[in-house]
Amino acid sequence: MITSTDLKDPLITLVGPPNSGKTTLFNLLSGKNYKTVNYPGSTVEYYTSRILSKFNIKAELVDSPGIVSLIPESIDEKVAVDSLYSHPKLGTPDLVITTIDSCQLSRHLLLPKQLISAGFNVIIVLTMTDILAKRGLKISERKLSKALNCDVVVLNGRSKQGIENLIQATNSNLERIGVTDKKNIIPYNSLKNRKDLIDTFKEIEEIINDVYENVREDEKIYLNSANRELKILQDGATINGFTPDEITLKIDRVLLHRFWGFLVFIVVMGLTFTSIFWIAQPLMDLVDELFTNLNSLVLENFEPGWFTFLVSDGIISGAGSVLVFVPQIIILFVILGLLEDSGYLARGAMLIDKPLSKIGLNGRSFVPMLSGFACAIPAIIAARTIPNRKERLFTIFIIPLMSCSARLPVYALLIAYLIPRDKPWLGGILLGGIYFFSIVSSIVVAWIINKFSKRIFSAEGSSSFILELPSYRVPKISAVINHTYNSSKEYILRAGPMILGFSLVLWFLTFFPNIDPQVETEGFTSGQIQNLERAERLEHSYASDLGKLIQPFMSPIGMDWRIGVSLISAFAAREVFVSSLSLTFKVTSEDDEEHSTLLSSLRNAKKEGTGEKLFTVATSIGLIVFFIFALQCLSTVAVSRKETGGWKIPLLQVFIFTALAYLMTFITVNGLRFFGIQ
Amino acid sequence: MRTAAELNYREKGIISEIDFSHPSSKRIMEHGFTPGQTIELICKSTFNDPIAISIRGTLIAIRKSEAGCIKLK
Ligand SMILES: Nc1nc2c(ncn2[C@@H]2O[C@H](COP(=O)(O)OP(=O)(O)OP(=O)(O)O)[C@@H](O)[C@H]2O)c(=O)[nH]1
Ligand SMILES: [Mg+2]
Repeated sequence: MITSTDLKDPLITLVGPPNSGKTTLFNLLSGKNYKTVNYPGSTVEYYTSRILSKFNIKAELVDSPGIVSLIPESIDEKVAVDSLYSHPKLGTPDLVITTIDSCQLSRHLLLPKQLISAGFNVIIVLTMTDILAKRGLKISERKLSKALNCDVVVLNGRSKQGIENLIQATNSNLERIGVTDKKNIIPYNSLKNRKDLIDTFKEIEEIINDVYENVREDEKIYLNSANRELKILQDGATINGFTPDEITLKIDRVLLHRFWGFLVFIVVMGLTFTSIFWIAQPLMDLVDELFTNLNSLVLENFEPGWFTFLVSDGIISGAGSVLVFVPQIIILFVILGLLEDSGYLARGAMLIDKPLSKIGLNGRSFVPMLSGFACAIPAIIAARTIPNRKERLFTIFIIPLMSCSARLPVYALLIAYLIPRDKPWLGGILLGGIYFFSIVSSIVVAWIINKFSKRIFSAEGSSSFILELPSYRVPKISAVINHTYNSSKEYILRAGPMILGFSLVLWFLTFFPNIDPQVETEGFTSGQIQNLERAERLEHSYASDLGKLIQPFMSPIGMDWRIGVSLISAFAAREVFVSSLSLTFKVTSEDDEEHSTLLSSLRNAKKEGTGEKLFTVATSIGLIVFFIFALQCLSTVAVSRKETGGWKIPLLQVFIFTALAYLMTFITVNGLRFFGIQ
Repeated sequence: MRTAAELNYREKGIISEIDFSHPSSKRIMEHGFTPGQTIELICKSTFNDPIAISIRGTLIAIRKSEAGCIKLK
């Protein structure tokens, strides 16, 4: 809510070219933790925050997606330009802070020049000066400031060096402007004329010739020794033409090699997904042990009864069964984070542009699709960076097929079930295989859907792929850890209440209405009586009524209603599947042992009536296949609706992917049986 | 006349003009491809397309169909 005092405070908007350090600066000034990534296009939405009180600036600060110029070509750029001209809530900014990568001055000055001639009050922040200094160069703030007639501040976003100067400049600018002044902002239409662009760049080239200076002798001590070799770049002739970062060129000679490049790409992706399983294994065992102990503690200290069942079978096992997979999710986030901050993602996008364009996608679909392996929701929003509307909608359409982290618990459980305990490496290979299969099948699905793309997406326009390849950088570990911490916390906070809620609902469905079943007690031990009571109670429970409704759908794919109930609860969120399975099977399990793990209750589960084993190899693989395809996530549907601006695409997604999941599971289970694998 | 799409590996060229009729021409210029600039083809992707061109000290990946509107001297 905006109160009247808020409105009086000035509005400062951060804009700048992609990957120039806006979000890093925003986090610094606001104390927030938004994600910073070495990829042009990591921010796709605007964020607002108050500036931290320690900086003594009473103002609202806005972070925006990167823009190349004031004329937007994609949705994320439109968000940024809109936040300049008419912020949906706050109006026009009083002051614009624009971050400029000092290694790319001759390209990045275009935007501030446009901003200044459009009439905005601008402060220029030169970022990445530490990298420029390694080349033995620096930029004269004074000369640049004089040439552009606005304040220029040097700032290292990573080390916070120079922040006082920015605060000072901001304060003096705000004083000078006077918050009540009416601003005269010219809409930037004149730039539609391409001749103007050429002229602007000519002006920039003149400025550039003047502002570079050699790092002075006495300052050189601060540079590390390796940089001295790069001093060659100081000679005047290179300044205007400026060659790209030498180390980057060397690395790219391998990573973008015509033959090796693609091979490296495949190896990098493969390692990313297989390592999740084997690195996480010891950690998983630890968490598993913790919850098993907690469970036996409850069982030892409470009277057996419905309450104890609820706490141990429902809540503890449920929560445990999902928390066991937190290490894997953490590792996935760390690896993706390292990849993102290294600068490799833009190369990946370039390498895969050609194959993706064959199936109607774009190289720019790569990063949203890759982040879809963590979670589909930010991935769908990240598709905003794709300028072409059809390609953007298609990318959104296909993202739910990426195996998101919520599916990891399901895969991991079923893999652990399928493989012998003494061969954990087999699990890594199997998980890699699942990812490989899911990628291959999404390509096939995309290829088929592309045939109907005119009908589904009803949008055309020219396709384009122009992407800046940022210099390689050593990933900033603290940023990666920070982001991993936040995402994992979010995962637990999101999954936690959902699991608790569903545990309660499922427990209710399996216990009621027959809470106190009457059974023959004569001649039975107390353990046997308990089992009889359980069976009797379940047989007349709401869950079994519900189950009888879905049984006809489950039988063809070799499963029973108990899996069906878990699959239905998984539609709220996939994580819930494992906890539901854990609860239903423990409640219905016939084995005497109370401390049984989820795995052992799955092993002992029998089909009702026939007494055949329920979780056979075929059904377990079938379940994995089901999860690869099915869209079981309400939040994804909601985001897809919002980002595509209608119900057509989300509904098609739910329908097509769920039908496909059922069909593929049917084929898998019956196919395996046909070849004699039960 | 040659275009940036026809550059060989590690070959340099000087831009003479940008073909305004191409729908991507504005974006290409905004990235700094303006007449008089020296460009160099740094690498090609495995399928020969897109290519990475160095312009004003930055590497830009661009499809050949789009690089075709960058005319060279
Ligand atoms: N060496 C160095 N790295 C920096 C500096 N400022 C930012 N970075 C790094 O540059 C990368 C991009 O930073 P971001 O803050 O995400 O850039 P952005 O402008 O928000 O990027 P988009 O949202 O994609 O437009 C990150 O890897 C940062 O850690 C700096 O002054 N020096
Ligand atoms: Mg950002």
